[in-house]
Amino acid sequence: MLARLRVFFRFQESGLLLVILALGLLLTVFAGKVRTPVFERAVDGSRSRVFTTDATGERVPLTVEKNKFLNTQNLAQLAKDTSFIAVMAVGMAVVIIAGGIDLTVGAIYALASVVGALVLHRYGAEGLATTNSPIMGILLGAGACLGVACLCGLFTGGLIVALGVHPFIITLGGMAIFRGIAFVITKGQSVGAFPAAFRDFVRFEVSEGLSFVPLMTMVVVLIVGWIFLSRLAAGRRVYAVGGNELAARFSGIRVERVKLGVYLISGLCAGIAALLSLGYYGAATSGDGQGYELNVIAAAVVGGASLTGGRGSALGVVLGALIIQMISSGIVILGIDQNYSQIIIGSVVIAAVVLDHLNTWLARRRLTTAAN
Amino acid sequence: MSAYLEFRQVTKRFPGVLALDDVSFTVERGTCHALIGENGAGKSTLGKILAGVYTADTGQILIEGRAIAPASPLEARELGVAMVHQELAFCPNLSVAENLCLGDLPRRAGFIDRTTLIARARAMLAAVGADIDPDTLIGTLSTGREQLVQIAAAVGTGAQIIVMDEPTSSLSATETADLFRLIGTLKARGLTLIYVSHRMEELFALCDNITVLRDGRHIATEPISDTQPTRVVTQMIGRELRAHTPAHLDRELGPVRLNVKNFSSCGAFKDINFSIRAGEIVGVAGIVGAGRSELVQAIFGLDSEATGHISVDDRPLLLGSIERALAAGLGLVPEDRKRQGLVLGLNCRENTALAALPLLTRLGFVRRNAERNLATTYTKRLRIKTPSIEALTAGLSGGNQQKIALAKWLARDCDVLLIDEPTRGVDVGAKAEIYQLLDELACEGKAMLVVSSELPELIGICRRIIVLRAGQIAGEVSRAAFSEASLMQLMAGLNAAA
Repeated sequence: MLARLRVFFRFQESGLLLVILALGLLLTVFAGKVRTPVFERAVDGSRSRVFTTDATGERVPLTVEKNKFLNTQNLAQLAKDTSFIAVMAVGMAVVIIAGGIDLTVGAIYALASVVGALVLHRYGAEGLATTNSPIMGILLGAGACLGVACLCGLFTGGLIVALGVHPFIITLGGMAIFRGIAFVITKGQSVGAFPAAFRDFVRFEVSEGLSFVPLMTMVVVLIVGWIFLSRLAAGRRVYAVGGNELAARFSGIRVERVKLGVYLISGLCAGIAALLSLGYYGAATSGDGQGYELNVIAAAVVGGASLTGGRGSALGVVLGALIIQMISSGIVILGIDQNYSQIIIGSVVIAAVVLDHLNTWLARRRLTTAAN
Repeated sequence: MSAYLEFRQVTKRFPGVLALDDVSFTVERGTCHALIGENGAGKSTLGKILAGVYTADTGQILIEGRAIAPASPLEARELGVAMVHQELAFCPNLSVAENLCLGDLPRRAGFIDRTTLIARARAMLAAVGADIDPDTLIGTLSTGREQLVQIAAAVGTGAQIIVMDEPTSSLSATETADLFRLIGTLKARGLTLIYVSHRMEELFALCDNITVLRDGRHIATEPISDTQPTRVVTQMIGRELRAHTPAHLDRELGPVRLNVKNFSSCGAFKDINFSIRAGEIVGVAGIVGAGRSELVQAIFGLDSEATGHISVDDRPLLLGSIERALAAGLGLVPEDRKRQGLVLGLNCRENTALAALPLLTRLGFVRRNAERNLATTYTKRLRIKTPSIEALTAGLSGGNQQKIALAKWLARDCDVLLIDEPTRGVDVGAKAEIYQLLDELACEGKAMLVVSSELPELIGICRRIIVLRAGQIAGEVSRAAFSEASLMQLMAGLNAAA
């Protein structure tokens, strides 16, 4: 039993799991109760309120008391919100493990969204190319969204490799450029009216409020990211380049290719998140995803990706994303002033890094005592 | 009479190792005291505790009978103890003068007083007889001159005890001679020097007393006149070390593996011609800056400016491409294993497989069993001492790290190995094992080009030695004519006839 516990604690992810459990417990205890109306589902799928008569014989809506945090609707919402951030965070983790940083993810998210939206709008109800079968339009829209995201990733990666400038500078510029392009092509207007089938697909709910597609997308991205980083030769190269670029080059690894690849992956992940948002919200503007880069980097760092490169895991950053999202939603649930949320999230990121240092220090001390 | 400096039962523990175990000995004032031991014996650790870089877990250090416990290098400085480090101890982007006065910059109304700064720096440099312009940037100085600045800083701040950690490891012959002269002057002025090194000749030429450490324990402290190098080596390794002639020298040589013709690179080396046959170890000697490392790196494709012809097994090699060099069967064990050789954040298995990844991959997936087998095979074959193949390379000793840097290329099945400084920072025992290994590899028919600053090393293992001077081949010496004197003369350009 003890040995099994010890194995469990050897992984950094187990610490994150504990944090998530503790956060969940805390939120459940302090969230308090809320009364929500009860709905019933008719045969045709429409929902209507359930009514009852109270003591005075008046017809009143039936309500149940629920925990503000621990209820299906809130958890489903949390899962959906986490999905967007987590998908991007996996891409970010790959970049950070390779020793880079990508500030463009929020802007790529916006640009990919609006480009996808323009195509989907064209094939939507008010578009010029409305057809009976929406499949073609949806595929084109999705292709455009992901394609643009990949191109953006290639663009920043290419510049970083070709110019040899620190990725912070290039992606800082790229962030402004991509968002600017998104603004110019939409003239700042919101683009909507997509084929209904697309929205129905992404919003398809397995149970009350729980959208299946974003959640599954996150799981798939997590699994692919995990396999990439831990099982593929390409992933090993990412760790090698981030751990010691010179030694990687001396070992015959094409460092430039690896670097280009990681930004492409990060762009693609931002594109996947953008595609999900298109389906979920049914509209896009150039202002979408403002500030996402910070949440995504925070998720990666909280999840154990080391900004000095060479360290991190896909599962860790997904859990990191969940922690960040739990904190944001906890702030709402606990009724804390929204203005504090930035302060709290910022503090959490710093605390995570401090804890990581502490952990390394403890590990070293354990080694010392083991030698006694 | 109580001793000037005394170590009393000093113990220091690091993760996984007991670096110093109950070490006690004394040092007399105005002497140069040698501290010798294999890598990991604790000699650098002891020096660093004295200089305040580390603190001892238990035990005391006494100067003139007073216990001192410097918690930082700054505190040690105030107590009169300074250390001259192997690695960069200054800000390379600042000038010599600024670095020398960094702790106490002369100011006038908040602005740096440049006149006083330069004057003070000049005085400090003059005190150690250093002819260095205080306005030059530290980053542009050679290692030897930078060391001189470090000594100037130590003497200038009133240090009475100076700890020198492997001061000659990257110095040229003339720089070393200058350093030795300076040490003599400092001694005459009553300063005490703790000289950490594992170069036996130096210690015997320079030091008055010698302390030998082994595995963190104090073995002996005696006047240098009462001991001999063989005795010290025995004390260091705890067993007799026998010199033997490499077995590969008796074997027949195979066909030419590597042929280098008219190989030049602007500013590094010019017109290099040589060839290596299967089963042959060819040495490259030369002083620092003669273009040795530049040459091997260029052969490996790291220099895009290089021109000339290289062929491997009679097939021409496209220059400037590591991938082509790898495909042709070349491997490079670089001089700085921590910076260029290993990814310290990865474990032994991953480092061993790093260059061989393309051979271990199926459909993009790393074949885990094959990788593990490969790592296990080479860990056994090279006698790498590690708790497991999953242990981080950062925790291994220098010798074992070096073996992994070598294993990386053996795992890739390279037939032509370019080895730059095969035993830098490696202890005596591991050195012998590496020589043995190179010998075995030569017997198997590998062709090797070995660059080294240690002439005895090249003389020990090579069949031929190429001497580089200022980027050109100054001469080639065959085994029958090997002698340190003749090689030195070629290196320094004193005498063309060898």
